[in-house]
Amino acid sequence: MSRYAKITENLDWGILLTVVFLICIGLLCVFSSTSGTGSGIFIRQLLWICIGTMFMVVAFAVDYRNLMYSAWPLYAAVVIALVLVFVIGREISGARRWIGLGPLRMQPSELAKVFVIIWVAYWAEKKKHILVHGMRELVFPAAVIMVPVALILLQPDLGTAGIVSFIAATMFLMLGIRRSTLLTLGGTSIAGLPFLWFSLKDYQRLRILTFLDPSRDPLGSGYHAIQSKIAVGSGGLIGKGFLHGTQTQLRFLPEHHTDFIFSVVAEEWGFLGSGLLLFLYLMLITKIITVGLKAKDRFGALLCFGIAAYFTLHVFINISMAIGIFPVVGVPLPFVSYGGSFMLINLVCVGIVLNVAWRRFIF
Amino acid sequence: MKANITNPLVDEDLRKKTKYLFALVFVLLGILALRLFTMQIIHGAFYEELSRNNRIRIVSTPPPRGKIMDRNGVVLADNRPAFNVMVLPEDISSPSDTATRLSPLLDKPAAEIEKAILKGKGKPYDPLVVARDITFEQVAKVEMEIFNLPGVSIETIPEREYLFGDLSCHVLGFIGEVSKRRLEQDEEGIYAPGDMVGKAGIELVREDTLRGVKGKRVFEVDALGRRVRVLDERDAVEGRDVMLTLDQGLQTIALQALGQRAGAVVAMRPDTGEILAMESTPGFDPALFAGILTTEQWKGIMDDPMHPLENRAMRGAYPPGSVFKIVVALAGFHAGVLDPDAAVYCPGRFYLGRVSYGCWKPEGHGNVALVEAITKSCDVYFYTLGRTLGIDAMADMGFRLGLGRRTGIILKDESPGLMPTRKWKRERFKQPWHPGEHVIAAIGQGYTLVTPLQVAKAMSAVVNGGRVYTPRIIATEKSVLERDLNIPQRQIEIIKEGLKGVVEDPHGTAHSIWDRGISMGGKTGTAQVARGIVSKRPDESDIPFRLRDHAWFFGFSPVEKPEIVVVALLEHGGHGGAVCGPIVRDVIKGYYLLKETPREPLRQDH
Repeated sequence: MSRYAKITENLDWGILLTVVFLICIGLLCVFSSTSGTGSGIFIRQLLWICIGTMFMVVAFAVDYRNLMYSAWPLYAAVVIALVLVFVIGREISGARRWIGLGPLRMQPSELAKVFVIIWVAYWAEKKKHILVHGMRELVFPAAVIMVPVALILLQPDLGTAGIVSFIAATMFLMLGIRRSTLLTLGGTSIAGLPFLWFSLKDYQRLRILTFLDPSRDPLGSGYHAIQSKIAVGSGGLIGKGFLHGTQTQLRFLPEHHTDFIFSVVAEEWGFLGSGLLLFLYLMLITKIITVGLKAKDRFGALLCFGIAAYFTLHVFINISMAIGIFPVVGVPLPFVSYGGSFMLINLVCVGIVLNVAWRRFIF
Repeated sequence: MKANITNPLVDEDLRKKTKYLFALVFVLLGILALRLFTMQIIHGAFYEELSRNNRIRIVSTPPPRGKIMDRNGVVLADNRPAFNVMVLPEDISSPSDTATRLSPLLDKPAAEIEKAILKGKGKPYDPLVVARDITFEQVAKVEMEIFNLPGVSIETIPEREYLFGDLSCHVLGFIGEVSKRRLEQDEEGIYAPGDMVGKAGIELVREDTLRGVKGKRVFEVDALGRRVRVLDERDAVEGRDVMLTLDQGLQTIALQALGQRAGAVVAMRPDTGEILAMESTPGFDPALFAGILTTEQWKGIMDDPMHPLENRAMRGAYPPGSVFKIVVALAGFHAGVLDPDAAVYCPGRFYLGRVSYGCWKPEGHGNVALVEAITKSCDVYFYTLGRTLGIDAMADMGFRLGLGRRTGIILKDESPGLMPTRKWKRERFKQPWHPGEHVIAAIGQGYTLVTPLQVAKAMSAVVNGGRVYTPRIIATEKSVLERDLNIPQRQIEIIKEGLKGVVEDPHGTAHSIWDRGISMGGKTGTAQVARGIVSKRPDESDIPFRLRDHAWFFGFSPVEKPEIVVVALLEHGGHGGAVCGPIVRDVIKGYYLLKETPREPLRQDH
């Protein structure tokens, strides 16, 4: 049996097909939400999918265990990029998040999510003798993760900082944390919430307040929430049809090709469409966890769990925001939202998971 | 294939915990599914009702641009209200009916209006303009009938108005519809398609100041699409004003002095770099660009052989001619090779090996020292000095004074001109510098190219004792002293004496413009366009126009403590003193006249 045949035989086709399906839905929605504007957004999205696919192939081809050796360098690179954001970053509406690379723009905080997954998985593999983490074992890794999280908080980008911490926390919970430690940490976090509230910027506080009461500022940040809910709800069972969503086509809802793309799906395809989308995500994420379950080492398993948590969080926060059960934070929908670097990172994650799945057959 | 268990104890533990992870995913996605089910299936009808009744239209209102004023507060660019007739195609049940009703009110054929309405078929929710900038009487007529015209409305928008037509048009620039590229780069979401933005001149470089903030009006509309009430209104914030260093009066005088000829005038305050006047002819009416330009109008402007859009004062680069002799004299002083009292004999020709170079006066000037050489613009004197100095020493002084490079004025598309050096020629043509080229460079011919603005900057520095200022056009900005050449007072005195003689000495090359009442110095310049053509008439009327020489004159006043430097250039104008001298004199005269006339402060305070 040739090596090539082995690749196709042992490849996790289920994951790959689910992703292709999701991307197709995304393309339809990006097309629908930008049709008639004459912008090149659809074409650019196609281009990024091609670039992302190439990166995915690379992420699949190189043995994932090599990532272990690059955990620290990657971590260092991300921290440097996050510091650079303050030095040469571009300020867009009050927050510094982007670095310009010639014509391209990069958001280092996006990369931080993936690199923190890699670092935690590496740490778990290195310390595989630790069965249950107590306070003493957690101090060092927590400090390592706090550095990028703090830098992201300073940008300020509350949403991303929360996601990074949540992913890392999930991974450590999977590894096992002593019950007493868990209680102490949970208690401290809840006690810390009021302090967090006062350290927020005005616009962030406004977003949370308008989430609690959208009519507070119907034309400002509450506007998104109201219009998005109307779009989703009015989709009904079968939707208004492709290119016929009145909310989105009539531009009542801004940013509908990026953060609010879910409302396009829900409005034009109804509950059937949004349900299918949720089902696809469920398939994808459970398959990723299954790959982790069968991985041949702790490193691979943790990579998969981290990536599963990453996708779950994005899907949950993004859709919650569109249906009005979460404040408006700028979190895109994996494989569906318009956005080049985000698509690229998503595909690289898929490449890593396929890599872990495939290499469990190789010794 | 067998399972690979490296650490069964740990892995078992980890595997047991995945059930929590599965549970988390199911719970989170389950919440979403439940919520979607209630929203879309159970409350679907409710939201659909909301969406159908979602007859909220958000219309942004363009902010009035800031005014552009001259140094005395005279408004050069302002806004006037313009009325457009708009239709919302969705609300028009019969385009032909609406068109027939509108036609008599707007004095426009019904077919034309119908065609405009039908254009919006694909996008029924975007309001369309069917008649632009209608008169006030027409507005009244339409308003009277507005209730019989569902879907029709009148929109008032600020339209840019340039109060003095083509005066200062190159400095002010113009506005136009925002380009696709600009929209793509617009990360902050300031612009929408169709917005007007600065495209040239001050309108472009001070876009951020002038722009203002868009207003927003939220309407509720009824089933017919009529605006029932305003739900929310945020007023547009007018852009901030920009005050220029220009003097509108002096601009008018400069423009009149240039007349129908192609050329440029720059007037500058030598002690600050403030530009008092900058005119370039022919000009254009900037208001044309703010409206809808027809293809013919656009082609007419673009194909005009006189290039009216070009600001010759900073975009046009010409050989400096004899004006450059001042630079050569300073280079001579700087190199320590120039004794102002030593005379050079001018027989009317200068010999370099077997080649000879003529003085403009074939019979020769006889024995001339520096002052006389400047006054009479003796070529042989400067040929001699140029050969001694060489091109690099002359270019070095040119660079120090700001020639051959952009002056640093904030306006866009400035030409750098060209200050040749040996190195430049080697790199550009792969050829060495020829001895004869030193000689012709010394009288401002050859490769050297300068803009009128560069000459104004350089000559301001010469007459103020060596302080090189960046030309400045915004009144509220500070003067920038680029460098101080610290030219010894004695050298400045000698050069000024020569420059004064140009006008006041009966043998001066511009004595014809002398006005007894004004203390003034200057220098003529005639830049050859075609070599070897010698005119037999003073106005060169026997030579084809495009081969005629460019004419320069630079003047300053008063000689003792200069307050103003004026540079005039006429393309293919002939001899500098004869044609450009009067322009400069008129501008300087105008400057004193305006200074003595007390003017009402026109600054408008809101």
